[in-house]
Amino acid sequence: MKDNHNKKILDNKKVSIVLGIMCFALTLAICIQIRSVEYTNSIVSNNYEENTLRAEVLKYKEKYDNKYNDLEKAEKELETERENSTKNNSELIDKEEKIKQANKILGLTEVTGPGVIVTLSDSKKDANSVLNPSTLLVHDVDILGVVNELKNAGAEAISINEQRIIPNTAISCGGNIIDINGEKVGTPFTIKAIGLPEQLAGLSRPGGYLEILKNASVGADLKKSNNITIPKYTGVINYEYAQTIK
Amino acid sequence: MKKNIKKGKITMIITIGITCFILVLVMSMQFKIVNQTDITSIENMREAELRTEFANWKSKYEDIEQQYDETMEKIEEYRTTSQSNEETEKLVDEELEQLNMSLGKTDVQGQGIEVTLRETNNEEIARINGDDLLVIVNALKIAGAEAISINDERIINMSDIVDINETFIKVNGKRILAPYVIKAIGNSAYLETALTGNGGHVDEMKKIGQDVSIEKSNKVKILKYEGEINLKYIQ
Repeated sequence: MKDNHNKKILDNKKVSIVLGIMCFALTLAICIQIRSVEYTNSIVSNNYEENTLRAEVLKYKEKYDNKYNDLEKAEKELETERENSTKNNSELIDKEEKIKQANKILGLTEVTGPGVIVTLSDSKKDANSVLNPSTLLVHDVDILGVVNELKNAGAEAISINEQRIIPNTAISCGGNIIDINGEKVGTPFTIKAIGLPEQLAGLSRPGGYLEILKNASVGADLKKSNNITIPKYTGVINYEYAQTIK
Repeated sequence: MKKNIKKGKITMIITIGITCFILVLVMSMQFKIVNQTDITSIENMREAELRTEFANWKSKYEDIEQQYDETMEKIEEYRTTSQSNEETEKLVDEELEQLNMSLGKTDVQGQGIEVTLRETNNEEIARINGDDLLVIVNALKIAGAEAISINDERIINMSDIVDINETFIKVNGKRILAPYVIKAIGNSAYLETALTGNGGHVDEMKKIGQDVSIEKSNKVKILKYEGEINLKYIQ
């Protein structure tokens, strides 16, 4: 009986130790959690070089934004000035209209109209469950293919995550992000296109590009809409090498 | 005595249960935060990325500054010429000409490259398909091409390149035939390396035995887009 009693005391000790260790682990986990919450999206590294660079980039970004606002105002002014100068001459009014039209086609003004919204996102499947995890991701060529099909279906304006497609727009892969117009965009990718919705929706036809992606278990979704707004290109088109031949 | 031990056991089980529950909660929170971290945000970039980002924003700023100056100049010109129809017309024409160049409605010339892709007679080698051309055109754009054409079909903003039944290729809705000649204007060294560098598309095509050649030139001539560009759905 006494022996038994002693054994029980030993048992109780064991339990206390186990509980103690568990509490310790829990406290540790909570501490890590709080720290990571505090530091996410704030500065990750304390590297001096990186911080200076980061500050420089932000400075130029701000300068760019300010200049961009100035430019937008100037462009509006130019438009009114142009309208004022051309309103007395029917031939000039015609040309002024052509300028506006060209700006819409090139992506230099915001446009609205009917069309489709395509969303592509990386698969939520476990990467260890398939032979090639790469098939679970949205790649630059997938986006290139979808954009090409939309163009084929008569799209008049296209944007990817609010980046307008202009004649020189390239889609390039930069690791796990994609570079469009020099801006980095990540998954999920929202591709908007203006055109005849029924025709653009052909993208999701059986055997079409979206189905191929879906079969690879990449998230691919298409929605029709009567009112899509596509922003303008926020950069500048300029030419260094090409010259017009008259 | 026996009752006491039972009580202790139950308390222990409950405590461990609660602990496990909290642990799982914390873990799921952790996963959520990792998922939410925006990899495109500047705070999470490394030095090399930051350097390219810096160069990128700097050149973008310089571009926009130049554009701003030009726009201000144009406003000034419109103001001073607003009395004369002839001079205003000149200004409008100038603006239109610039836009037409971007639209691909003018013939252009400049430094660049010409890529020629020929079909081989060997049946074991894959035929050149639309995706090859699409990827090459995209690579040329990444390398800064300012104007591109395939068999004199100008690539404009909404140009498509599609493979029909794996037998022929259509560009801008028109059928084109091999050999395919892709012309591009831009820095010829950049354009060439974008294709022939390790992993470049031309490099890979050559590896599987396809016949591709590239020629650099100081005078590549690219013809204008012959069709009409109409907007029906944009308001």
